[in-house]
Amino acid sequence: MSALYNQDFGSGTESDDDDFNPAPPVESDNEDAGNGSDDQSRSAREPSKVDDDDEDVAAPRPSRFSKSASPVVREADDEDEEREERDTKDVDEDDEDRGGDAAEGDDDEEDDDEDGDEEDDVVAGRPRKRRRRDPRLQFIDEEAEVDDEEDEDEIEEDDIGDEPHPDDNLELNLGGVDDDRHHRQLDRQRDLMASLDAEKQAEEWRQKYGKQSRMAMDDVVVPQRLLLPTVDDPSIWAVRCREGKEKEVVLSVMRRWDSRLNTREPIPLISAFSRGDLMAGHIYIEARRQDDVFLATDGLQDCYPRSKCMLIPINEMPGLLRVQKSKSLEPGMYVRIKRGLYAGDLAQVEEVETNGLEVQLRLIPRLNYGITEDPNAPAGDAKRKRFGVKKGPTAASRPPQRLFSEHEARKKNAKYLGAAKGLQRNAISYMNDTYIDGFLLKDFKLQHIQTENVNPTLEEVTKFAAGAEDGTENLDLQAIAATLKATQDASSYASGDIVEIYQGEQSGLVGKVATVHGDIVSLDIMEGGKPGMRIDAPVKDLRKKFVEGDHVKVIGGSKYHDEAGMVVRIIKDRVTLLTDSNSQEITVFSKDLRKAADSGVSTVSSKYDLYDLVQLDATTVACVIKADRESIRVLDQNGSVRTLLPSSISNKIDRRRNAVATDREGSEIRTDDTVKEYSGEQKQGSVLHIHRNNLFCQNRTQAENAGVFVVRSLNVTTVAAKGGRVNAGPDLSKMNPALQRNGSPNGAPMMPPPRTMGRDRMIGQTVSIRKGPHKGLLGIVKDATDTMARVELHTKSKTVSVSKDMLLIRDSESGKALPRAGAGGFGRTPIRYGNTPSRVPDGAWSGSRTPAGAGGGQTPAWGMRSAGDIPAWKRHDGGMTPSPWNSSSRTPAYSRDDGGRTAYAREDGGRTAYARDDGGRTAYGGSGGSGGSWGASSRTPHGAHGFSSSNTWNDGSRTPAYNSGSRTPAPHHASTPGVTAPTPGDSAPTPGDGIGYTPAISAPTPGDHYNDRYGAPTPSDRYSAATPADHFNAPTPAAPADHPTPRYGQTPAVGAPTPGAYAAPTPGAYGAPTPGVFAAETPGGWGGAGSPDDDPRYE
Amino acid sequence: MFFIHDMERTITLHPSYMGPHVKDILLHRLHADVEGANMGNFYVVLIMDTGYEVSEGRIMPGTGFAEYTVHYRAVVWRPFRGEIVDGVVNSVVDGGFFVNVGPLSVFVAKSMIPGEIKFDGNATPPQWTDNGDQIIEKDTKIRIKIKGLRVEMGTMYAIATIKEDYLGPLP
Repeated sequence: MSALYNQDFGSGTESDDDDFNPAPPVESDNEDAGNGSDDQSRSAREPSKVDDDDEDVAAPRPSRFSKSASPVVREADDEDEEREERDTKDVDEDDEDRGGDAAEGDDDEEDDDEDGDEEDDVVAGRPRKRRRRDPRLQFIDEEAEVDDEEDEDEIEEDDIGDEPHPDDNLELNLGGVDDDRHHRQLDRQRDLMASLDAEKQAEEWRQKYGKQSRMAMDDVVVPQRLLLPTVDDPSIWAVRCREGKEKEVVLSVMRRWDSRLNTREPIPLISAFSRGDLMAGHIYIEARRQDDVFLATDGLQDCYPRSKCMLIPINEMPGLLRVQKSKSLEPGMYVRIKRGLYAGDLAQVEEVETNGLEVQLRLIPRLNYGITEDPNAPAGDAKRKRFGVKKGPTAASRPPQRLFSEHEARKKNAKYLGAAKGLQRNAISYMNDTYIDGFLLKDFKLQHIQTENVNPTLEEVTKFAAGAEDGTENLDLQAIAATLKATQDASSYASGDIVEIYQGEQSGLVGKVATVHGDIVSLDIMEGGKPGMRIDAPVKDLRKKFVEGDHVKVIGGSKYHDEAGMVVRIIKDRVTLLTDSNSQEITVFSKDLRKAADSGVSTVSSKYDLYDLVQLDATTVACVIKADRESIRVLDQNGSVRTLLPSSISNKIDRRRNAVATDREGSEIRTDDTVKEYSGEQKQGSVLHIHRNNLFCQNRTQAENAGVFVVRSLNVTTVAAKGGRVNAGPDLSKMNPALQRNGSPNGAPMMPPPRTMGRDRMIGQTVSIRKGPHKGLLGIVKDATDTMARVELHTKSKTVSVSKDMLLIRDSESGKALPRAGAGGFGRTPIRYGNTPSRVPDGAWSGSRTPAGAGGGQTPAWGMRSAGDIPAWKRHDGGMTPSPWNSSSRTPAYSRDDGGRTAYAREDGGRTAYARDDGGRTAYGGSGGSGGSWGASSRTPHGAHGFSSSNTWNDGSRTPAYNSGSRTPAPHHASTPGVTAPTPGDSAPTPGDGIGYTPAISAPTPGDHYNDRYGAPTPSDRYSAATPADHFNAPTPAAPADHPTPRYGQTPAVGAPTPGAYAAPTPGAYGAPTPGVFAAETPGGWGGAGSPDDDPRYE
Repeated sequence: MFFIHDMERTITLHPSYMGPHVKDILLHRLHADVEGANMGNFYVVLIMDTGYEVSEGRIMPGTGFAEYTVHYRAVVWRPFRGEIVDGVVNSVVDGGFFVNVGPLSVFVAKSMIPGEIKFDGNATPPQWTDNGDQIIEKDTKIRIKIKGLRVEMGTMYAIATIKEDYLGPLP
């Protein structure tokens, strides 16, 4: 209002013109409403004036717009009035808070203006057509005096909000013609005024408004502290009453006052009130004299005015009237009981009594059905259990919470049992309490229950879940989750938050929170004051300030707890944000938000994360689409969405990166591929999880279910594999594929390390441990896997697991360390072997390594190595072998110790298996002596046999053969079949050695191959698939291959072993698999030179 | 907004790649890795062909891998809050619509769409329309103002508004 007086009344014409532009009708309605309230407040204050003034007041309001409707010529001063009036209204509209004050000001002003008005009239010589007009209406246009409509107007005001005023309609109908004229008139008047002497004008205004200076004072907002009570005001007395009965007492005071209101002796009370829990046991009465207080309270039940009646000091009065919002209780809410048997128990509000003093609660009874009671005690004893009675059961003796069981009650003390009065279903009365559905229904006084900070736990709440008829629990998880989160958080402000003071004297300030002490927050001003200044503000005046686009997180207070999102809209303290998880708009209070780190990871404290795949039961899996603290929402494989407790999820299924499914076109789908539904909605998304035939896919642009949907893998087509990313080049962190062996395009691993079949030959060996905590200890291998061995230590009777690498094999008797081989003899040799060729031949590898590897130079190298190995195992196998071994010449003999072969025979007991191995051998032989030598080689075995016992052999019965080789073999194969396998390999060559050493070595032939560049190596080519087989096959011969025949003076030595070396592995390792491959082929390939001999074996 | 930005990248190389074409391999890898990628709060549009600088390789002890540091200069695009950008509508949902602005996916939420433009789910394809000349459906070219940005591992999300003058579908 003060703005009104600062107006420049002689302001330029433009602004005035603006004033006369008709405003939209809506606005005028607002004004109506505003004025209406003014009127009411005024009439309330001045009941004497109520009569016909009100009508006037109500009517003129809309008139501002109707002025054009009735073309009345008005004088300049009227225009001024009008302008002012408009200003007034504007001010009112602008400042709604001050509506009340402004209204007062208005009224006063109007009163005062009456005088001015009359003077004006005189001055301007205007016809006094408004004589009857209420003086206060000087600001309100006179046209509204159209009397007929006034009453209607009043009525309308009450209930019609937005409907345009009839006068407004009138104006709208009239159109702009009159309006124009009016404007012109106004302009003319303005001109006239402008031409007047300024002094004269000032004088005029002084006459008009001079008296209003006083009002101007009134108009200023009166600070609250000036409204404090003084000694002149009535006093307040505190009167004792019974605790908990405060409200009742106040009500009865009011009744007494009311009953005597119109009698000869009314009670001159001003007011009576109580402060509820805050000042329990007191009511307050405002009166002029203490006698009046007694008059009002004497003889009231539960009220003790005479015992102690205190006069409240003036400075304490305001405190008494400070309003504290009390939480209103509603059925369904959860509360806690403060004392008695059920102290601390959770209860659900069933019903709230209308007087607001008592509530009926539903809770889980704690009954012992009289077990501990003396059966002979009088019935009244049950009262002991009443709440609030000191003798109530102690916490220790408190029976556990259990739903009421009619059966037990009947069993123990049926005398207290009965049907409860009332119409409720299944209501049972027991010990004067009512039980329904097992729950206890009981009335509690409001002061005995705790309504704030209830914090029910999920377990507690679950007990209240109503069981449906079909036995299912219809627990509304969402509702509970919401209840749980609705904890009041006084510490929702943290330093660094940007806050805004939105009410109180400092409203409008924006600052950054520096510290928080209880309810007081000190902030550093950023806007709206002196920047950098630190002020304190109570929490209640604050709200957090956000800007659109801020990334925020919900920190409490709503069911959206822990959601994060970006702010899209802010209305007062309600902030709408778009969640990150599913792009939904949610609205929360700004106090529940906090600015989130720019890139935040959801920190939902749940065991399961968004998009996890979880197992619900044996046949159902589901994808988490919303993870809350208390509940989890999942989309299961059938596409249905459910909300679950985390506890009802059996486990989480780890994402299997290499899971593969096939789409409808048969191409494979892996996780992260983009797939599209073939039919239906043709949804597209990237695969999150593959579970059997179901794909859980995610599409970010789909809002529901966090973008997750489930499809059958056969209903989709792959759109882009691996997110559509084309692998633009080789992976520089891996082996260069161009250099990889075998030319295998995808860098397939070279050859799988051959695995030892059967019993690990390390078992039973005496070993010493080379490293680790047991270093140096001697023991015996009791059990072994590929890499680990369980060693029983000699020192203490303890068995330890040790890596085979860490074992040194010792002779069981001498304790001498044997060359290290046990660790993985077989496994290793081939690998080494495999490597050698690749490295040595350099470029040549691409073709067929084996022969290359065989490169004469090399052979010795690996030959040596293998030599190292072979003896090792040989030794293990049979003690004797070494010795023969040592002498290369003898090698054949020993190696031929077809013990090996025999062993086979024995082992399988069937020839076939051996035959196969032999085949393998033959293959060697074959490869070795591919051409002419083959015959030799093929014969070699025979030779070999012959060596030992050719006759028998020839007979085709192996047994004899083996018999011949009997002694060695026996131990051999008995303990280490794997080992024995090789032997044959050896035997193959060996025989060669034995007889025609050279040929046996078949060296020549392979040599040919070698020279031929594998022309011959057919074998190797053929086997290319079965690389391992190749390796062995091809190499063997190849190695010795070299024409070195000449050389083989020495070579044999090498050659001999070599075959042993790998021959050993091959059969052993691949015994089962490979044979098929090469066994089949070799013979074929060789067409049969010496094959006849072999053929039978293959069978 | 587009910038020219000097950056560097470390590339490790398997020994098997060491040969005469090391540099080519490295640059090829650089292009494949970097172009179009999100690097925190900006996207690399392309690597300029000038100003490569490949450091000497450094063999990493124990592995045999070589480590190269490549300095390069690239054109990058960084979206800013308040920036006005043009994009193409990618999908339309009832809560708003998604706009692709180059590599960035921007969501325009309902509350950031003028009130007169309403969602019409019955149209094919679904669209936001004021039943006048403004129709927002998939593939509509649209001008938006970025209101907020969020950076996640390897990607960015943004929200935008068309609730201001001169924003909305482009003719």
